[in-house]
Amino acid sequence: MKLGDQFRFVRQNMKKNKTRLFMTVLATAMGCSFLIVLASVGFGLQQSIVDKIVGDRLVTAIDIYSKDPNKHKEDTRLYDADIKDIGTLPNVKAVTYRNFIGQWMDPFIEGEQVHGDRTYQVDFKAEERAGFGLSAGRMPQKENEIVLGYNIRQQNNDQGVPSEYLDASEWLDKTIVLQVGYYEDGELKKKPIEAVVVGITEKSTKEWKMDQALYVGVDLMEQIEATTGTQNGELPYVQEGSTPEQIAALMGDMPKPSEKRSYNQVQVIAGHANNVKGIAEALRDKGYYNHSIADELKQVNLMFLIMKIGLIFIGTIAVLIASIGIFNTMTMAVTERAQDIGIMKAIGAHPSVIRKIFLLESAWIGIMGAIIGTVVSYGISFAVNAGLPILIQTFMEEEVPAGFLFSVIPPYLTLLACTIALGVAMLSGYRPALRATRIDVLRALRRDV
Amino acid sequence: MIELSGISHQFIIGKRGKEKVVPVLHDIDLCVAKGEIVAIVGRSGSGKSTLLNLMSGYIRPSAGEIKVGDKDVTKLSEGEWADFRLSNYGFIFQSFQLIGSMTAFENVELPLVLKGVGVTERKQRVLKLMEQVGIAEFANHYPSELSGGQQQRVSVARSLILEPPIVLADEPSGSLDSENEKTLLTMIRQLNHELGITFVIITHDEQVASIAHRAIRLQDGKLVPNVKDQWPGVHMGYTRLGGEYE
Repeated sequence: MKLGDQFRFVRQNMKKNKTRLFMTVLATAMGCSFLIVLASVGFGLQQSIVDKIVGDRLVTAIDIYSKDPNKHKEDTRLYDADIKDIGTLPNVKAVTYRNFIGQWMDPFIEGEQVHGDRTYQVDFKAEERAGFGLSAGRMPQKENEIVLGYNIRQQNNDQGVPSEYLDASEWLDKTIVLQVGYYEDGELKKKPIEAVVVGITEKSTKEWKMDQALYVGVDLMEQIEATTGTQNGELPYVQEGSTPEQIAALMGDMPKPSEKRSYNQVQVIAGHANNVKGIAEALRDKGYYNHSIADELKQVNLMFLIMKIGLIFIGTIAVLIASIGIFNTMTMAVTERAQDIGIMKAIGAHPSVIRKIFLLESAWIGIMGAIIGTVVSYGISFAVNAGLPILIQTFMEEEVPAGFLFSVIPPYLTLLACTIALGVAMLSGYRPALRATRIDVLRALRRDV
Repeated sequence: MIELSGISHQFIIGKRGKEKVVPVLHDIDLCVAKGEIVAIVGRSGSGKSTLLNLMSGYIRPSAGEIKVGDKDVTKLSEGEWADFRLSNYGFIFQSFQLIGSMTAFENVELPLVLKGVGVTERKQRVLKLMEQVGIAEFANHYPSELSGGQQQRVSVARSLILEPPIVLADEPSGSLDSENEKTLLTMIRQLNHELGITFVIITHDEQVASIAHRAIRLQDGKLVPNVKDQWPGVHMGYTRLGGEYE
């Protein structure tokens, strides 16, 4: 018997008691929906708490300190080739670094001195991909654009102790003048380079941590290096009274911009928290010393995993309860159709064909229930995420963090729920189907079954 | 074609611990030749329906062997019996045994569906056969909308749709009036004559037995030899395996 004909039989049979069929599908849909919504709360909380509240970058960042001296005996520093090599690893979103500019360039903004503590050269494009946080402004897009640290406007009291920090965002779109020092004929000179302040970094969540750095891009660093003639604009320590020849000799020892360049504070940003472990292992295999906070988050993830399994288990119980309905429906169907089954067997229907028809019918109930249940649970999930923050704000006067999701339905949860619903439906249909194959032909023909 | 040798059958009735054995058939030897119409006659309770059920594979004999063609069907599994029935037998029942939720067309089509024949071929074959048995105009009617005679024709069409070599009929005219009975019997003879189909018919009706090439009487579960009884128009007799009519 062809599959198409089996489906036709199932359709015909289902039409015989539409109300009972509807109620059974409804029960299955409710069970499936309950399973998905319940588990989605676990997924939602994990995503919101681990991925959002702990912070995307904090979770997905892997710090690389150096190369393993056992594998790279000659030089453990990180170079261009290493940055490119790391960037090719699967699931790596960005590779960032922070190189120090080797001098404080006494910057001024509209005549006011900028009291920073360091200048970082960063790759702004990689930083943007990595989720570089800004409290105001934007990331640099053109040349000679600069980002300032949140605490850059430090004010000192009479004793020279930091007393307050003024709002750095007032400096947005203003011109900052960097005084780049360089030696010419043994004499220290200053060359002003102008840049525009376009962004202010985020305030650190650690209140003792003060960000008083200047962040410049590759373009500004090249201008600084072109002025000093040294890598990272670094100047040598020159003792007082040194002759121009001595200074020239010191300058000659400094690494040149064209020479091999090493990188500091290298971070690998994974595409997702789940990828961190794999990337960290790949980095270790390649001989890079690294560490990520995800190592510490394993316990948190384990807790959520246990919670999700628990919720799926409770949800599965709901599906199992629905399966009683399917069992009942299929048993009734077999009883009602006993004569028809008997006639089919009498003229030569193979028992496996009879079994298949009934299993298909229960599978069909399971599929219908799973589809309806999935659609409904997506609706409930959307409603919960949209409505619950409003309810919490209205009645509890608590504000839910932006982007916090109470319910998240990953595609594999849908797939899992549908598989469970289908599996349970077929299991509950199996016994009635088996009973159908065992119907005695003679009793059925005599109509006494 | 069909050989029964040493067939005995008994039913076990009653509750567990108080079972009672009821012997129904005793040491039956019977041979039905290809192209024959054989009527099995006998009183109610003589075991004739049981004999047909054994030939159909609905029940298994307590002893003996049944061969159809060269195949020993006695030890076939339930699934093998189903396949064998579908390929070799057509069935005509006293109470027609049509599926009420299916139209006449679908009832006739059912064996073809079970056999896995394609839709187009099915449609052609069913309509042609329904035309031949004179029920084409009722193709879309449900059994409840048909008369007894029409239902039996649907049943006959269903039994013949796979062109089986053997048709087993259990009181085929039992629910028909005399006119419909006559039509049915004419049809059986015609099918036997034109297509060479072997018919084994269970009946207690002389009229039905009269179309058979020979009739076999069952009495108390045994074949009765050398019967020269009250049905002069009927050629009574049975064959021992490989033997002549007695």
